[in-house]
Amino acid sequence: MSKHRHTEPPSDLILRVKALESLLVEKGLVDAAALDVLIDTYENKVGPRNGARVVARAWTDPAYKARLLADATAAIAEFGFTGRQGEDMLVVENTSGIHNLTVCTLCSCYPWPVLGLPPVWYKAAPYRSRAVRDPRGVLREFGLELPEDVEIRVWDSTAELRYLVLPERPAGTEGFSEDELAELVTRDAMIGVAKATAPGATAGATA
Amino acid sequence: MPALLAKDAPAQLRKGGSARVAPKGLTEAPAKFAPGDRVVVRNLNPPGHTRAPRYIRCKTGTIDRDHGTFVFPDTHAHGKGPSPQHVYSVRFTAREVWGDDASPRDAIYIDLWDDYLESAQG
Amino acid sequence: MNGAHDLGGMDGLGPIDYEVDEPVFHAEWERRVFALTVAMGFYGAWNIDMSRHARERTPAAEYLSSSYYEIWLSGLERLLDEGGLLTRAEIDARAAALRAEEN
Repeated sequence: MSKHRHTEPPSDLILRVKALESLLVEKGLVDAAALDVLIDTYENKVGPRNGARVVARAWTDPAYKARLLADATAAIAEFGFTGRQGEDMLVVENTSGIHNLTVCTLCSCYPWPVLGLPPVWYKAAPYRSRAVRDPRGVLREFGLELPEDVEIRVWDSTAELRYLVLPERPAGTEGFSEDELAELVTRDAMIGVAKATAPGATAGATA
Repeated sequence: MPALLAKDAPAQLRKGGSARVAPKGLTEAPAKFAPGDRVVVRNLNPPGHTRAPRYIRCKTGTIDRDHGTFVFPDTHAHGKGPSPQHVYSVRFTAREVWGDDASPRDAIYIDLWDDYLESAQG
Repeated sequence: MNGAHDLGGMDGLGPIDYEVDEPVFHAEWERRVFALTVAMGFYGAWNIDMSRHARERTPAAEYLSSSYYEIWLSGLERLLDEGGLLTRAEIDARAAALRAEEN
């Protein structure tokens, strides 16, 4: 689980998957065209830019933020971000005194409609094992050192509630438009392993 | 049970499949606990599916929030029905879970079903 | 079950392997395994709790040394086989036939 492949997988694996797909299609258990729609949806259409818009709206519109904290599913649905692996959402707010971090120790539960599919590191054993045990060490590995007096809350998604971290709005962003603010909101900040990017800093290389 | 068709896929994905359910009958199953209650996770070690990780069993925490009633995976995974019951966000201090060397300030919040929990003494 | 998937608090699993600008899928076979699993989820022969449990029953040593989508593949084959929809032997035979065509 701790390695993902950079090199070519064994051709046996590739052939096995081809065999599996051909048999499932022949048996009428899956529709070939539907497979392409599923892939396209999560490769190209759904991703962290969705969550970034939710966060940017919450930063600029106090009434929206209140709705988001009271009923995240409904507030996120205002954008049309609904459905699979996001049917029951909760937003947890970072403050100067509380930093939230999300994990699924048992598998890889993640809020697909707002963040897309999870990155490999989130689904792999090192993060899943250490996030609940040593969140400060994990954050340090991500380059984030929090003061001792900040309370870290680690949310383990054991049920079907899906969690989105609402990062703190960076200083120096007064007057920014929602679009400009959304640019500062990274996937990592919405998982809780980073803060939102400061204006003028190079944005984290990941979405 | 026909296969999912391409034309139906986007709507089906947008609809999803919430695990939030009400039990048969007119009212939700009553919640065993309320926010603020002290609870202890039962010493369960089922051979089948469970969503109570080993690290939290036998630990004492505080109910933070009641999420409502949901399908219970421990029965649902084995064809024994949804057994709808309340799911709570339960707060455990780092020291409760990992011992005195852990952070004095940090906490784990984990979603646990009624059947995983018992009232804690004191 | 007290399986290898229940990783919270386990030590010795190494550093977090972070890939900058990571793509959603790293290979075509991952795309196919993802789509086949999701499509079969909609087919309705099993529920999501059954599919999680099928992955959890990947033998522990295999689970810990597998990539994420390898575990999904393992779980999907287990569900299809146990559900009487498609046996591993059928997959083996088709894979062998595809291999023979290549050669």
